[in-house]
Amino acid sequence: MEFELTEIQSLIQSTVKEFAQTAVAPIAAEIDRTHRFPEELIPQLAELNLLGVPYPEEVGGAGADNLSYVLVIEELARVCASTAVIVSAHTSLGTWPIYQFGTEAQKVKYLSKLASGEWLGAFALTEPGAGTDAAAGKTTAVLEGDEWVLNGSKIFITNGGYADVYVVTAMTDPSKGTKGISAFIVDKDAPGFSVGEKEHKLGIKASSTTPLYFNDCRIPKDAILGEIGKGFKIAMQTLDGGRIGISAQALGIAQGALDAAVIYAKERVQFGKPIANQQAIQWMIADMATQIDAARFLVYRAAWNKDNGLPYSKEAAMAKLYAAETASFVANKAIQIHGGYGYTENYPVERALRDAKITEIYEGTSEVQRMVIAGSVLR
Amino acid sequence: MKVIACYKWVLDEADLKVDAKSRALLTDRTKNKISEYDRNAIECGVQLTEQVGGEVVALTAGTANSKNSLKDALSRGPAQAVWVKDELMSQADSAVTAKILAGAVRKIEEFDLVVCGEGSSDEYAQQVGIRMGQLLNIPVITFVNKVEVKDGILRAERKLEEGIEVVEVKFPALITVLPDVNTPRIPSLKQILGAAKKPVQELSIADCGLSPADTESKVSRESVLGTVMERKQIRVQGEVTEMVQQIVDLLNKEGLC
Repeated sequence: MEFELTEIQSLIQSTVKEFAQTAVAPIAAEIDRTHRFPEELIPQLAELNLLGVPYPEEVGGAGADNLSYVLVIEELARVCASTAVIVSAHTSLGTWPIYQFGTEAQKVKYLSKLASGEWLGAFALTEPGAGTDAAAGKTTAVLEGDEWVLNGSKIFITNGGYADVYVVTAMTDPSKGTKGISAFIVDKDAPGFSVGEKEHKLGIKASSTTPLYFNDCRIPKDAILGEIGKGFKIAMQTLDGGRIGISAQALGIAQGALDAAVIYAKERVQFGKPIANQQAIQWMIADMATQIDAARFLVYRAAWNKDNGLPYSKEAAMAKLYAAETASFVANKAIQIHGGYGYTENYPVERALRDAKITEIYEGTSEVQRMVIAGSVLR
Repeated sequence: MKVIACYKWVLDEADLKVDAKSRALLTDRTKNKISEYDRNAIECGVQLTEQVGGEVVALTAGTANSKNSLKDALSRGPAQAVWVKDELMSQADSAVTAKILAGAVRKIEEFDLVVCGEGSSDEYAQQVGIRMGQLLNIPVITFVNKVEVKDGILRAERKLEEGIEVVEVKFPALITVLPDVNTPRIPSLKQILGAAKKPVQELSIADCGLSPADTESKVSRESVLGTVMERKQIRVQGEVTEMVQQIVDLLNKEGLC
């Protein structure tokens, strides 16, 4: 067992760190403050092959492994959790279902554009009445001749309004419960499809989170993704991978907050010496660093399992559960170490706390992760 | 056009810590990186070959640890890398380094241009490039902040204290570049992954045509100590005009204005 990254993984990590520091960090506070989606970053991310990291070169991706993908998300989240989730939602949720379940024709039409970053992807499962109870969705899809007609709405969709393609779940047979849900690929300009107003959120404010509306939205018959009635399974498997991305985001948020706290603790002088000399602060730093490293190995292990063809559902759930709760814990302590200054917008730690919270909620709440883990352990 | 871009694998100063009492450099957790100005040199070579065709060979001399630099260098555009490996490089002075690199260049044989950083980001002796040019008996242009190649002629702008000097030279030649010659591009993931497939040639000192006597440094490093900034933590208060006067008085007291 080795606990070190390979040479190439280390190089990917240091390269993305450089990009994050030079291109993302300088705008992170501003896009958070103004709730601005960083459109200018998308072509830059695409040029560095950061929008298709784990997909083969033949389909337009970078050809790297899932552990490298985790490193990319972590380094981005270290400076900007919004940018990290834009990439993660596109890669794990918007692109993966098409890569995994798409027909050859669908892959030709969509995959290289998504994996290369020419197009942005999104994933639409959640509805106003169907969050954790994902199977309770009411959006319907009815086959009329050569077209599916979708009616309903989705809510809290990441990359909403900026994505070119949406993977959408809808009920094709309400009588069959979860087996009556199917998945579809919806182009942004599909007739009857519209995007609602952006949500005003506590955190990840630069990430666009919107409702989607389907009013007799017509898509071609061959826009169905996978088999009819397999949409729920597709969604659950998609979320398993998405959890690895979000756990990496949470890990990055936590690491960024710790980095800031260490710098501050060494510089802030009270009672004639840096507060880093005070045991109360040292113990906080120790707890933060230890939890982050524990989270790190859970996240990396989940990615490693996926790379090596091993089951990763439980491992991804553990990683997301622990990393998300670690991010909130560390961000909270980081503000405490910063004292009054940490409560102001002049330091990045208040943003870290606001950004951390959502990682305990989306792509499966921490409660859902506990259900998945217990379900696996108690089998 | 064949360009040889030289680089040095140095300690990353961002990771360096200084012991407050002894001022010794604490390097146990320090990573290495390609020296900043050498990144400019590699980028310069790659940009020139993108414009006029050809390839870049990345060249370095270092201890066994330098092996970790090769994929980094190759990810930045060179088609291949040549690496002279010897533990004596940890103590080699500029003269020895130049002899070794010049020997490696002779081993590579055909080339048009050698590009070096103006100096390394650790010692910044600014000698290796010039010494190499002398050893290879080729013209050297230093302090280059702008360069282009046209019809086999290299035209360079040199940023000097008095102004900008424009010079032209025929190949083969050697240039040393300043950091404002370009902004090194960040490698893409495909470039990083592709680096693992590019050829690397490892050379010994003997392969470079040198004997142990040739590699005896005349300059030795006795010690390297860091500086520690002691903060005075003086706070000025009052009206703006009063605060300004207080600051001026303090600076005067320190002999700083």
